[in-house]
Amino acid sequence: MNTKKIIQAAIIGSVYAVLTIVLAPVSYGPVQVRVSEAMTVMPAFTPAAVPGLFIGCFVANILGPYGIVDIVCGSFATLAAALVSRRLRDRPFLVPLPPVVFNGIIVGSMLHFAYGVPGLWACMGWVALGQAVACYALGMPLMKLLDRYRSVLE
Amino acid sequence: MIRDITLGQYYRGESFIHDLDPRTKIVCTLVYIIMLFIAGTFWGLAFSALCLGVTVAVSKVPPAFIFRGLKPVFLIILFTFVLNMFMYDGKIIFELGFLHVTEEGLHKAFFMAARLILLIIGSSLLTLTTRPIGLTDGIESLLKPLNKIGVPSHELAMMMTIALRFIPTLLEETDKIMKAQQARGADFETGNIFSRARKLIPILVPLFISAFRIAQDMAMAMEARCYRGGEGRTRMNGMKMTAKDGVAWILIVLFAAALICERILLA
Amino acid sequence: MTIVVENLKHTYSPGSPEESLALNGVSFEVADGESLGIIGHTGSGKTTLLQHLNGLLKPDSGTITVNGTVITGDAEKEDVLMVRKKVGFVFQYPEYQLFEETVEKDVAFGPRNLELPEEEIKRRVRWALEMVGLDYDDIKDDSPFNLSGGQKRRVAIAGVIAMEPEVLILDEPTAGLDPKAHDDILAMIGDIHKKTGNINILVSHNMNDVTRFCDKILVMDRGQKVLYGTPGEVFSETEKLLAMGLDLPDGAHIAHRLRKEGMDLPDDILTIDQLEREILKAKGRE
Repeated sequence: MNTKKIIQAAIIGSVYAVLTIVLAPVSYGPVQVRVSEAMTVMPAFTPAAVPGLFIGCFVANILGPYGIVDIVCGSFATLAAALVSRRLRDRPFLVPLPPVVFNGIIVGSMLHFAYGVPGLWACMGWVALGQAVACYALGMPLMKLLDRYRSVLE
Repeated sequence: MIRDITLGQYYRGESFIHDLDPRTKIVCTLVYIIMLFIAGTFWGLAFSALCLGVTVAVSKVPPAFIFRGLKPVFLIILFTFVLNMFMYDGKIIFELGFLHVTEEGLHKAFFMAARLILLIIGSSLLTLTTRPIGLTDGIESLLKPLNKIGVPSHELAMMMTIALRFIPTLLEETDKIMKAQQARGADFETGNIFSRARKLIPILVPLFISAFRIAQDMAMAMEARCYRGGEGRTRMNGMKMTAKDGVAWILIVLFAAALICERILLA
Repeated sequence: MTIVVENLKHTYSPGSPEESLALNGVSFEVADGESLGIIGHTGSGKTTLLQHLNGLLKPDSGTITVNGTVITGDAEKEDVLMVRKKVGFVFQYPEYQLFEETVEKDVAFGPRNLELPEEEIKRRVRWALEMVGLDYDDIKDDSPFNLSGGQKRRVAIAGVIAMEPEVLILDEPTAGLDPKAHDDILAMIGDIHKKTGNINILVSHNMNDVTRFCDKILVMDRGQKVLYGTPGEVFSETEKLLAMGLDLPDGAHIAHRLRKEGMDLPDDILTIDQLEREILKAKGRE
């Protein structure tokens, strides 16, 4: 891994964390609509976004008020999703789907098994819904935006 | 506005807990959490609460900060408690229309809520007594063995360090960009979620571009100083385990043993 | 258009461990069409003061009156917005605020936020770009990110003046520029000031610049106004300025050193040209 890729990943992570922190009330509440999750479309543009988003989610969770369970589950869900999104980069409409699915399943399970919220399917559905709003409603426009500025970013 | 955000949960102080090696604290927190799920009865939770209470006292972190960690999860705790109360069948205690509260439900509700509270406080304690940089160093060290199966622990730790280091810088950039666009008449406060998201474009685009610019400059600076990656790097302030860590390790093993016994004997 | 600042006070993070008094009772006035230079160290309160002038910050106590509209600590949102429309602010490194796909769209951002009709917006964009020395037809469809540093800065400045503010604040407009670009940008600012006749407020660390372009100078130190007057008045307080760690314009600086060595030179020398004349005069007297 060369220096430039490491730093690109770190900066993507930093931007994710900054967006999460700046929009804190919505990012850390029970109704989690993390605007920063729109960034999960970035693996379609650069492979550095895969570790980048993982690190970003990790750091955002460390700096946030949630516990170690969240830190671990959320970050791994993000990593798994980013890896799959990268594979789907040639199909724009499917790129935001992995974060919805992985976060729904992993974070939803965490809410049910670790936090004791009853109704496994309800938990997963709830998280998936919040993710869908961020990833599709905000992520698709972000993808179009990044596409226009593609030449500037490379 | 953005100036007033305090980053992270770290509470500066001097205590036995603060002095422990980050690796010790991370592992102890993980063991503690696993044991919370192994506990089978209220006795297990009560014992955990006692140990946690002692640890909090030793850490000298004011209770106000400890309970602050519960605020964001408060709704989840409440929600869980209420739902669990109504969801289980068994001996009915009282009825509210078509909803009934059972003894089993009440038992479950209290158990889940108590466990959740202990979980959150326990992991808050980790972030309250360990600097973010300490956490990343600890994690890098703990992940080192995974190098053998291809996990690039050094690179990941480097990314974490750089990401943390740049958060204040990027926060300042974001603040500047926001003010500059506001001075040109941009209004970020009105509108529904979709129109507000579009209004974020004048902030997001310059922010991304600034971030990439910083990344390029930093890459050049690091390479100019002969940075070549993880092989053979040493640190200036290494982490060292001391006798205090030894004490912590012994205590956590005893704690785990106690809870395993509780599970086997009482549940 | 006039600005009156009365006893302005502002504290950051009151009540917290990071509490800091940024402005401690600052008062001054700016007359119509005047060009004011503000100098002072980082931390002197300059930036805080500027952000009050265009409504980004509200005072804890004291008032700012922009053309009759009074802003106090509990000012109405409409008043604050009105001030923001009248006072244009060019931040340091303004090119970092560029975001649109084309130069035209970016410069149009400000006017569009003012909800002006399309034709008016187009007219202003063309006018603003020409005021900053760029060719409208040539550059309007270019991506702002493909321009040179100097051009980017001009586009950013155009974006602010396209709002036709009655007051233009520029925070170190020449930061990071090479000497030629530095002179070009300043000349351009002076030109814009002459052509629009608005109030100009220039924050700078360059004493020669403020001497050349400003009618009055305000010196800030630790949240207070320490000196105020014409360049001649302000820079004659040599000892005070040097004690604050601030510099003098080149001519004044050298004259000060020469006076220390015993040369008889008048107090009000500011520029090198004046210095040259006075040295020749002094030599002629010998």
